[in-house]
Amino acid sequence: MLSIINLKFLNRVQSFILFFLLILLLFVLLISFSLGSYSFPVLSILMGNTSAIETTIFSEIRVPRVILAAIVGASLSVSGACLQGLFRNPLADPGLIGVSAGAALGASTIIVFGSSLTSTFIFSTFLLPLSACLGSGLVILMLFLLTRGFGHQGVTYMLLVGIAVNAIASVGIGILTFISSDSELRSLTFWTMGSFGGITWSLLIPALIIIFISFLFLLPVLRNLDILQLGESEAKRLGVNVKNLKYRIIFASAASVGASVSLSGMIGFVGLVVPHLLRLLSGVNHTYVVIGSALLGSSLMVFADLLSRLLIQPAELPVGLITSAIGSPFFLWLIFRINKI
Amino acid sequence: MTKNFSLILILFFIIFLNPIYVNSCDRAYNPSKIAVAGGSITEILYFLEEQSKIVAVDLTSNFPEETKKFPSIGYVRNLSAEGVLSLKPTLVIGEDDMGPPNVVNQIKKTGIDIVILKEEHSSEGIIDKIKCVGEIIGEREKTIEMINNKIMPIKIELDNLSENIKNQDIKVMFILTMDSGSPIIGGKDTSADGLIEMIGARNAFDSFEGWKPVGTESIIDAAPDIILISNRGAHSYKNLDNMHNHPTVKYTPAAINKNIIALDGMQMLGFGPRTIETALYLSKKFQTIENN
Repeated sequence: MLSIINLKFLNRVQSFILFFLLILLLFVLLISFSLGSYSFPVLSILMGNTSAIETTIFSEIRVPRVILAAIVGASLSVSGACLQGLFRNPLADPGLIGVSAGAALGASTIIVFGSSLTSTFIFSTFLLPLSACLGSGLVILMLFLLTRGFGHQGVTYMLLVGIAVNAIASVGIGILTFISSDSELRSLTFWTMGSFGGITWSLLIPALIIIFISFLFLLPVLRNLDILQLGESEAKRLGVNVKNLKYRIIFASAASVGASVSLSGMIGFVGLVVPHLLRLLSGVNHTYVVIGSALLGSSLMVFADLLSRLLIQPAELPVGLITSAIGSPFFLWLIFRINKI
Repeated sequence: MTKNFSLILILFFIIFLNPIYVNSCDRAYNPSKIAVAGGSITEILYFLEEQSKIVAVDLTSNFPEETKKFPSIGYVRNLSAEGVLSLKPTLVIGEDDMGPPNVVNQIKKTGIDIVILKEEHSSEGIIDKIKCVGEIIGEREKTIEMINNKIMPIKIELDNLSENIKNQDIKVMFILTMDSGSPIIGGKDTSADGLIEMIGARNAFDSFEGWKPVGTESIIDAAPDIILISNRGAHSYKNLDNMHNHPTVKYTPAAINKNIIALDGMQMLGFGPRTIETALYLSKKFQTIENN
């Protein structure tokens, strides 16, 4: 994959930070693989002397869950970083173009009306994620049509359309919330706070593939994103195909965020703040920010999920709460520290 | 003197500081037109064959089927004062989660009798609730007779069976829904916990309170012998055989021995007359499970 990223745009500090983040991610993954509410020594799994149930828990329950947390963290942060670059707006995040709201609408529909749909078993585990994906896809399609192929009147217009689309999706969610029963309401509430529970390989692999392909779309255009910061017309004059850049970033973000949100529920904060953390640490060039976001976003999410599983076991804390609880104070501290210097 | 004073003090506390529902089982001034906020109360009125007094029900009243014919006053926790008053009830009986409080106060201010029933998740709680409703509508003797004829035999049988089950230490997990990632499970102090206790079994998740999402690993760790799930929670699994293969419960003894039971949610957790019948039904089922 390295051939499509141009590492020459990284300075020494940035390379060091990326290397450090990679180590951090591996470390967090290692801890996360070895801890859980069902405790057993993981080393013995590797040596093969465990009971069947322990092997199953490890390979069928814990590993897919940790991997899902990692890729969701990466995809939310990378999309956030790219969208902030594209809109040249530090407040842009995957939620802003309505992808998450669309996914939420799709998921809520199934949570509330799922009981009246007849379905077979195989279909039913896939139903909610599929519907969430469909929801985010519809939002992107709507955005595409309303902005005449993302081209009409620049990015500000698109941001506004995104906000409107978001509001429309929220109305749908509101109506569903209103007509839902007690237990459905509980499902809805917990869904909007995120969870990596209940993941299986058969759900994880399609999401992995979608997210991997969208990263392949994003990585070659990171330098173009740097140039875009000069302004759309300047970037055009410098030979950047702005339209192509928009397509790539919006479709890739939408696909990866849609795939993530459909499996994990809504997890706020990460997509917005992780890219800023990296910018505050060292520089704004997108090669560094985007790759760093992938690594840091993964680590943060895997760590948050670890806490979600362990803090109040056997119950689980919604992971969205934890990401915000860890991230926001740290972010505030970082802002104040930078201001002092 | 001190004695008198403390007596006055005690009287004062009894009169002013008691919870709202003490003495609430008194006969209502005019129980001829009742608005009901709570499915179990509607069930009780039908049980007492006093359904002709009902003028409106809330959204949680879905049994028996014909309650649908009554005008709806909305969701029990989110009533609207004008909506309730527009149906001109002479008495409002609500479950303890009736609300919001300011709407309840608004209705009270208009002078309409409004009673909030105490909720206790046990067989005794159900019987008290039926008695209370009977007294409020002024049918004390009839109610006691009906309880003695219809409920007591069930309770006695249930108590016998649950003693047996208690000795076997059966662990039960109650799943509310499975839609949002980790299934939402009933912990301590929930209606599900009360139901499980009525049957004489043990809640596999009594280490936390309320309804919480629980991860797959913890579910396997808790190793429930039986899984109870509401029909709605099991909605996608027309055939319960498929439910046994659901990734989050697949590795529990309950799923391996195919001991997953799906029933109507209100029937299990409404704590009206049906709940005690359901508890008996389940306790019979649990016995056969253990005999296998």
